[in-house]
Amino acid sequence: MDRETLRLLELLNQLKLTEDEKKETFSFFEDRKADSCGLEAIDTSEVERMVHVMPIMTVVREDKVSQPFSREDLQSGAPETDEGYWCVPRVVE
Amino acid sequence: MYTVKFDTDAKLKVVADSMILTTDSETNAGSKMLKGYKSLLESEALLKLKAAGYGLCGKTPVGEFAIDLLGETSVDGAYTKDGALMLASADAVKTGDADIALVLDVNGSVRRGTAQSGLISVKPTYGTVSRYGTVPVACSGETVSLIGKTAEDCKNALSVISGHDDKDGTSLSDELCKSALSCGSVKRIAVLKSMTEGADSCVKAKIDAFVNALKENGIEACEIDDTVIVKSRAAWNILMSAELCNNVSRYDGVKYGYRTENFTNLDELYTNSRTEAFGQLLKTAILFGSDTLSTENYMKVYDKALRVRRVVLEAFNKIFGEFDAVLMPACSKMVYTEKDTENKFLSYTENLYTAPASITGLPAVVACGVQLVGKAFSEGALLDTVNAVCKEGK
Repeated sequence: MDRETLRLLELLNQLKLTEDEKKETFSFFEDRKADSCGLEAIDTSEVERMVHVMPIMTVVREDKVSQPFSREDLQSGAPETDEGYWCVPRVVE
Repeated sequence: MYTVKFDTDAKLKVVADSMILTTDSETNAGSKMLKGYKSLLESEALLKLKAAGYGLCGKTPVGEFAIDLLGETSVDGAYTKDGALMLASADAVKTGDADIALVLDVNGSVRRGTAQSGLISVKPTYGTVSRYGTVPVACSGETVSLIGKTAEDCKNALSVISGHDDKDGTSLSDELCKSALSCGSVKRIAVLKSMTEGADSCVKAKIDAFVNALKENGIEACEIDDTVIVKSRAAWNILMSAELCNNVSRYDGVKYGYRTENFTNLDELYTNSRTEAFGQLLKTAILFGSDTLSTENYMKVYDKALRVRRVVLEAFNKIFGEFDAVLMPACSKMVYTEKDTENKFLSYTENLYTAPASITGLPAVVACGVQLVGKAFSEGALLDTVNAVCKEGK
């Protein structure tokens, strides 16, 4: 992990770390890297990935039209709305 | 102890932690991002408990998105008693305010808190209890769990909340869910030496006492060695962080949650809202998760962890060929203080003991300060065993 990679990760995840947070994050990454070394010792060349721990198939529910919540309900927790729309800063100059 | 407390006349009282959605009170998942957030829907598990006569007596705080040690990163502040960090939901049960706590076990804080409180908790087999109406963090391993004073209390509540739910895509069939509650007897238990070695003398004494109690009840306990299960932590940390990174990407300060006052354009709105609202542990976990999913690391790190998950489950199944359950600590020590949390990332090492059951979806019962991990769908038998061996967790 170098500073440039960390900068890109911050950008990608829309986060900004302080210098102190960066230092601690570097240290965290080092610890995780040391932890992961143990995984490399496990031979998984003949092992299939396990995404679901249980034999779960992708579930497709019947397509039914419904309206469980009103627009007012859905916007009740919004920081800012205007006439039924969510407000964000102007994106087109 | 509570973020909100309710009066209820119900004979049986349940407290829910702040990862469990409720319509009539705040669910903040321990984060400034969701401070003041009220859900439009209620957790399926809580609805089932209410329908069975349980009354909600309060909401308890959790650490930010429940990935920390014992709730110390909560926006509501750490909950301590006599200098020791405590899990608020466990303490609500211990003090008698509630008969049962309904909680989401993401990174083991539930099991650590239960072990410390001398209570009993059950993390059921993955897929047997609906996760509909919980704040999603690490969806492939997190489980709605219960804390109670007795194994019987846990089993009674578990029988209410387990079952198929169409609204949860990972929910198993009713038949499988109910099979997990069958009565059963555990006859042979493996004590995982590799797990107990790193624990302190107090935890080792709890393990020894539990082994003696097992023997007094005619249950055989044999020490075994293992080199794979102990590696669960590294794999779980990768999978949990990757899933967390995706799940919390929804919080951007637009549709709900915290919004910064400091922005001049959309990018600043997103970035400053997230930066101001999230704590350091969460930010670092997001960045780590994102890194594991990068083009460079996806196969080397994330894909590897998915394969190791299968290897760990196979290691457990091999043990289950000879034994009915595996005994291990739930934490490395019985008391954590705020001083311990000077290491902000301690939960990423302390989950050594909780990661095996999280990554495999196997049921885990914590009692008498120790943890029993059983075969899939054996939580009924684990609770029966605990009921026979240690009354009220002592």
